[in-house]
Amino acid sequence: MLKIRSDLPLRGDSSSRFVFWLVAILVFMAALAVTANSYVEALLTGWNQSVTGTLTIQIPTDDSATNNADDVENLLNILNAQESAVSATVVPAEKMSELLEPWLGDSTLITDLPLPLLIDVQLTANTPDAVQTIVDLTKKTAPHAIIEDHRVWLNRIVGLAEGFSAIALSVMALVTGALGLIVVFATRASLTEYTQTIDVLHIVGAKDGYVAGQFARRALVQGVFGGIAGLALYGPALAAIAWLSSRVQEGLLPDVSLPIKHWLIILALPVIAGILAMVTANMTVRRILALKI
Amino acid sequence: MAILRKKKGTFVGDTVQLENVALRYGDGPEVLHDVSLVIPQRSFHFLTGPSGAGKTSLMSLMYLARHPSRGRMRLFGDDVTALKRNKAASFRRRLGVIFQDFRLLNHLSAFDNVALPLRIAGVADTVVTQNVTELLTWVGLEEFMQAHPSTLSGGQQQRVAIARAVVNRPNLILADEPTGNVDDAIALRLMQLFIEMHKLGSSVIIATHNESLVRQFPFPRLHIEKGVVEALPAGATPPSSVAEV
Repeated sequence: MLKIRSDLPLRGDSSSRFVFWLVAILVFMAALAVTANSYVEALLTGWNQSVTGTLTIQIPTDDSATNNADDVENLLNILNAQESAVSATVVPAEKMSELLEPWLGDSTLITDLPLPLLIDVQLTANTPDAVQTIVDLTKKTAPHAIIEDHRVWLNRIVGLAEGFSAIALSVMALVTGALGLIVVFATRASLTEYTQTIDVLHIVGAKDGYVAGQFARRALVQGVFGGIAGLALYGPALAAIAWLSSRVQEGLLPDVSLPIKHWLIILALPVIAGILAMVTANMTVRRILALKI
Repeated sequence: MAILRKKKGTFVGDTVQLENVALRYGDGPEVLHDVSLVIPQRSFHFLTGPSGAGKTSLMSLMYLARHPSRGRMRLFGDDVTALKRNKAASFRRRLGVIFQDFRLLNHLSAFDNVALPLRIAGVADTVVTQNVTELLTWVGLEEFMQAHPSTLSGGQQQRVAIARAVVNRPNLILADEPTGNVDDAIALRLMQLFIEMHKLGSSVIIATHNESLVRQFPFPRLHIEKGVVEALPAGATPPSSVAEV
């Protein structure tokens, strides 16, 4: 560990190791919480980007006519003539089977199924007015069509993501509180253990700030190194999760790469832990010593 | 020694001034009653009296470990009767205290123990090394600079404690039985160090049971008995000692 000249025998004391490992565990938990939050956020951003500004129109197959080819043709022409729509295209059968493959498998079953026709509409603007125009036109031209503007499920997904974020934040708050408490108790224990040494330091002219500084430096080192140990645990854990998710069939879990912001936060965790521990130790020592004569 | 040439802090007034000072621990009885005394600048006093008479208590007032429960106290010309905690450090840096039980830090070497007051005061490392080395050589511990106190004899520890107390060129040196664990030759050498510090401007108070030491040097004494202090000129013996003889 970093060699710091200290007038107190803090480096070898029992609370040192205890704080080091607890900080490691807390930073590990914090890193996992940050990762879960970043993953959900990245997932959502991806979905949002692919879904915003689009509408899907389903034309169900009916028993009498095969997919109402005329209706579809008619509808496509009308929609493509609209200013609010960039393009309206029928989703080709190959794309349909590709989308269904993860669920139904690669079989001829898909082609035998009475699948609805899907029309993918790209909107110029994702405003309620633009959506409403398309909805009205479609209802008029093809009354059986089902219009899916993705908002409902997207809103639910957003709700879920927000829930995840709230949990991640709560974990971070708990971790922060736990780290503070651990440092407070460890510092108090050390202060009691070294009462006589601290008295000597005072008698030879040390101010409370000098004594507090020694504890604060120790806490900073413990926080940073404990944090690095926590990240050393986090690395393999993340690799394991990545490997497990890579085994899941493509399509079910979208491929998400975590943004650079995420990695910066992860790398900052040991520093944050160190600073938090340092400030807490400093305040604890000053507060306790201030009560003496 | 370079350390003995260093310019010292000056102040106006007496080094210590007590006016009707009393001290009690908690709700207990007073251990010092109505003590009034003056320790002028550049003075040398022995502090004598039987065990439990209040010598250590009187010293603890002077090194600001306790507040008087009554009366007024001035140190280096400033009122310190109810000194705030955060102000005490600057006064303590002008004090050198030698405890009967030494109070060395066992995890530090003799060198680091002696260097402590200088480092705390923010003195540059080169100056620290020079002064501490010279002082430890002066007290005959040049061979033991890197030794830890637990490996030193009682007399050696005492010399480390004395070196720590004087390394900062204090205005006031308070020594509780500083020659109690050394043979006569070393006791004389240590007394010589205190006298040297005194000549250079420090006030010195030495608490001792050693009557022969007191008689050997021409310094006045403060005699304390049952919490009452009496100032006696050099060579005088306290009334109780006369009675005992």
